[in-house]
Amino acid sequence: MRGLPVRRSILALAAAASLASALPATAQERLVIAGRDAAFGQALAKMVEAYQAANPGVRIERLELPGGALYERIALNARERTRALDVVMLDDIWAPEFMANGWLADIDRLGGVQGAFVRSADAVSRRTADGPRFAVPFVGNVAMFAYRTDLFARHGLARPASWAAVRAAAETLREKEPGVTPLAFRGMRGNPIVTGFLPILGAFGGAVVDAQGRAALDNEAALAALTYFLSLKPLTPRGIETWNATEVREAMEQGRVAIAIEYWPGWAGTLDDASRSRVVGQVALIPAPGETRGPAPMLGAWMLGVAADSPNAARALDFIRFATSPEQQKRMAIETGNPPALAPLYADADLVRAYRWYPAQAEALELAQPRPRITQWNRVEAILGEHLQLALIGQMQPREALAEANRQIARALAR
Amino acid sequence: MRARLAGAFAVAALSVLPIVWMAATALKPPGEYVSGSTALWPRAPTLMHLEALAAARVWRLGLNSLVVTLGTTLVALAASLPAAYALARLSFPRRLDMAFLVFILVVKLTPPIVLAVPLYQVLRGLGLLDTLGGLILAYQIYALPFAIWMLLGFVRDVPVAYEDAARIDGAGTARILLDIVFPVMAPGIAATAILVAVAAWNEFLFAFLFMQSPSGFTLPTAIATRINEDETLWGQLSALGLLASLPILCLVGIVHRALTRGFAGGLA
Amino acid sequence: MGAARLRLLLLIGPAAAILCLLSVYPLARLLVLSFTDSDHGLAGARFVGLENYAELAASRSFRVSARNTVWFTVMATASEVLAGLGLALLFDRAFPGRRALTLALVAPFVLSTVVVSAVWRAWFHYDIGFLNVALRSIGLPGVPWLFDPDLALGSIVLVDLWQNAPFCFLILAAGLRAIPPEVTEAARIDGAGAWRRFRDITLPLLAPYLFIAALMRSLDSFKLFDKVYAMTGGGPGNATETLSMHVHRLAFRYFEIGLASAAAIVMIVVAALLAGLYARALLKEGAR
Repeated sequence: MRGLPVRRSILALAAAASLASALPATAQERLVIAGRDAAFGQALAKMVEAYQAANPGVRIERLELPGGALYERIALNARERTRALDVVMLDDIWAPEFMANGWLADIDRLGGVQGAFVRSADAVSRRTADGPRFAVPFVGNVAMFAYRTDLFARHGLARPASWAAVRAAAETLREKEPGVTPLAFRGMRGNPIVTGFLPILGAFGGAVVDAQGRAALDNEAALAALTYFLSLKPLTPRGIETWNATEVREAMEQGRVAIAIEYWPGWAGTLDDASRSRVVGQVALIPAPGETRGPAPMLGAWMLGVAADSPNAARALDFIRFATSPEQQKRMAIETGNPPALAPLYADADLVRAYRWYPAQAEALELAQPRPRITQWNRVEAILGEHLQLALIGQMQPREALAEANRQIARALAR
Repeated sequence: MRARLAGAFAVAALSVLPIVWMAATALKPPGEYVSGSTALWPRAPTLMHLEALAAARVWRLGLNSLVVTLGTTLVALAASLPAAYALARLSFPRRLDMAFLVFILVVKLTPPIVLAVPLYQVLRGLGLLDTLGGLILAYQIYALPFAIWMLLGFVRDVPVAYEDAARIDGAGTARILLDIVFPVMAPGIAATAILVAVAAWNEFLFAFLFMQSPSGFTLPTAIATRINEDETLWGQLSALGLLASLPILCLVGIVHRALTRGFAGGLA
Repeated sequence: MGAARLRLLLLIGPAAAILCLLSVYPLARLLVLSFTDSDHGLAGARFVGLENYAELAASRSFRVSARNTVWFTVMATASEVLAGLGLALLFDRAFPGRRALTLALVAPFVLSTVVVSAVWRAWFHYDIGFLNVALRSIGLPGVPWLFDPDLALGSIVLVDLWQNAPFCFLILAAGLRAIPPEVTEAARIDGAGAWRRFRDITLPLLAPYLFIAALMRSLDSFKLFDKVYAMTGGGPGNATETLSMHVHRLAFRYFEIGLASAAAIVMIVVAALLAGLYARALLKEGAR
C-alpha cells in the first residue's frame, strides 16, 4: 500500500496526457480532399505534393478511402452538413445523386474549369446536356478487355470481334492449353459482378433501365446476355463466385488465366512489371467486343467536385484546375498509370510509348456507355449484384433471377 | 508424458503458424507471396514493405492507438469501479440492480454496426467527431459493460469483514473504496485493465467510421486500408499486422496471467 | 434523498450516464425508425406501422440470415468449448516447456480481427492459399473453403475456433485448477478409472465454468460481423450472411433504414432474452 500514492500520480499523469492529446488541434488555411485509394490515391498524393510545394501556406489533408467507403463518407458529411470536406472525388455513377441532392457546388458559377475533356466523361459531369458543370473529369477510366496475345497466336485465334468469338476462343484454349484456365471475371456479389456483366448486357442490346427510367431486365435481350454470361462459368477457375480485383489481377499476372473480360487500365501498369508479372508484354487490352449491338464498354470516370458546404471553395477550385491541367494529367499518367481525362493526351507520343494500350483506350472511351443516370443506382446495383450471383451459383434460374431482380428494381425506382 | 508434450507442441504450432506466416510475408517481395508455395521463409527477404510503412509515417498511427487505448482504459476503470462496487454491495430499490445488469448485457449484445450511425450523430452533436477523445467515449460502449461485468466478480471476492471493520472505525464509503476495497482488488483491476486495453487497441469498426482524417487513424484502420478495390497489398498488410500485434504478443504473458486471474477470481 | 440513495447515485452515476448517452438514444432512434420507411434518418421518414416486421417475417433472406446465425453460434460455441476442454485437460499436468507453449496457445486470442481475417482469407484462396497448397503437396485435393455454399460458413467457424478456443481454454484451465486434488486422489484410490473420474468428478465440478465459457462465446458469436465482412462479404449467395451482415446490407447498401432498424430490434430482443437468463444466473451466483 506504500506505493499507492506514487501509482496514483502516475495514473493521473497518464490520464492527463492522453486526454490532452485527444483534444482537437488548432486550424490554419485548410484544404480537405476526400479521394480514392490505390492507384488513384497515388495520383492524388503526387498532385497534393506538387500543389503543396507551390502553395506552402495551405495545410492539405487527404482522405484515402476505397470506393464504397468514400461514397458513404461524402454522403454522410453532405447529409449532416458537417462542412468537413472541400474537394471530393466521385465516381461518375454517383454524380446524378450528388447533383440532384445539391451536394456539389456549381463549378461554372465558382469560375469554371476549361479543358479538352474526353467526350463521354465530360457528358456525365453536367446534370443536363448543356447545363452547368458540377464536376470535372479527373481520370478517364473505362473497362477494357484483356487477353494473352501469345496464347491466341499460338493457336491461331484472332482478336475476338464478338462475345461469341470470345467463348469460342476460350473453349479452344481449354482443350489446347491445359495449364491455363481460359477465362476469369469478378464474380463477387454486388458491384464486382455487375461491372463484369454490364458490357455484355449492353452488347446484347439490353439495359438495366430503359429511356423512361423504368426497370428493363425482364426481356429476351437481358435473358440472352445472362445466359451467355452463365455459359462462361465452366471456363473459369473454381471459386470464381468469390473473385474480386485482387484475384483476377494476380491470376492474369501470374499467367494462370488467358482472358479477363473486365480489366481496368489502372491494373494494367503492373502487367509489364517484371518483378511481379510473368506475362510481360504478352497481354493486350482492347475495347470489349460487341454482339447484336456494338461494343458497350463501361465508363468508370472519376471526377473532382467541390462540396456544396465547403468552407474553402475558392481554394478547392484552384486545386481542381491544377489537377486537371495538361501538365499534371500527363505527369499523373506517366508516374502512376492513371488514364488522363484530356482527350489529346491519348495521342501524346510519350504516353503511347509508355502505355501501349492508350490508342485502344481512346477508342473505348469514345464508345463508352455510362451506367444509368438514376439517383438510386447504388440500390439497383446491390439488387442486381445479389441476383446475378444467385444465378451464377445456380440457386436461381436465369429467367427467375432476372424477373425477381426486375421486380425489386422497379420497387426501388418507385420510391 | 511424451505424448502430452507432443500433443501440446502440435497444438501450439498450429496456433502460431498463421502468425509466423504473416511475419514471413511481411518480408517477402510481391513475386513470392503470390506464387503459392508453402515455403514459409522468403527466398529473397526484403525490407520494402517496412520501408513503405515508415515512409507513410505509421508510427504516428501507433501513437493514436496508444492514446486511445490508455484513455479508454482509464475512463472505463474510473466509471466501472464504483459502479461494480455499488452493484455488488449495496441494495437497490425495486430490483434496479437486476435491471441495470440486463441493460448492460443488452448493450454488450447489440451488434456494433447497429449503433454506429446514431452514435455518429451523437458524437457530431458533441463536437467530438474525428477526435481521439470522441473515440475514447465511443469505446465505452464496449469497455464499460465488460469492465463492470468482470469487476463485479472481483468485488465479491473482497471479504466483507474488511469493510465492516473499517466502517466500525468510522470510515466513509470513499475511504473504504480507496484504502481497502481497491487495493485488495488490485490484481483483478489490473486484469480487467489489460483486457480492456487489448480490446481498445484491436478495435476497428468505430475507429474506421468516426475518425475522418488519415492523421487520426488507428492501427487497425490502417491495416484495413491496405485492402482496396484494385488489389491487396499483402506485404504491407502483413507488416502492419505484425507491428500492430507485436506489442500485444510481447505482453501475452501478462495478458495470460490477467485472464487466468480474471476467471479464477471472477467465478470462484 | 437519503444519504444511502445519494451514495448509490454517485457510485453508479458516471457509468450509467455514459451508457445511457451512448445507447439509450441510439436504441430509441432504432425503435422509432423500425416503424418507418426511411432511406436516411428521421427526416423524410414515412410511418408504416408493423409493415417492416411483417416484411422481415416473410423475407427469405432474413430467415436465411437467422438460420446461418443460429448454426454458426451453435457450431462455434460447441467446438470452442470442446476444444478448450481438451486443451485444458492436455495442459493440466506439468511438463517441460508448458509455460512457453501456453503462451503460444494464447497468442491468436490477442490479435485483432482485421489481422486474423486478412491472414485466413489469404490462406483460404483456392489456387495459391497456404492450406490448399499444403494439401496438394501431400497429394490431397484442394478444398473450396470459401466458395462452396455448404463449406463457407464452416470455414469461418474454423477461423473463429482458431482465434477463440484459447479463451475457453483459459476459463476451463482455471476451473480445473480450482478442483481440489484430494477429491480426484480419493476417487483414484477407490479404484475409479480415468474416464469414471472425469465423468463423475471433474465434469460436475467444471460445470459452472463450462456454462460461463459457453455463454460468453455464444453471446459473441451471435454478433458475428467482422470476419464474415472481411472474408466473404456474406457470399457465396447468402451462405455466410449472418444477422449482423444482413442489417449492414439493408442499412448501407440498400439504404432501407426502416427495415434495417426492424431487423436490429429483433436481434436486440433475442439478445435481451439471453441476457436475462444470464443476469439471473450471475446474480444468483453472487448471493450464494
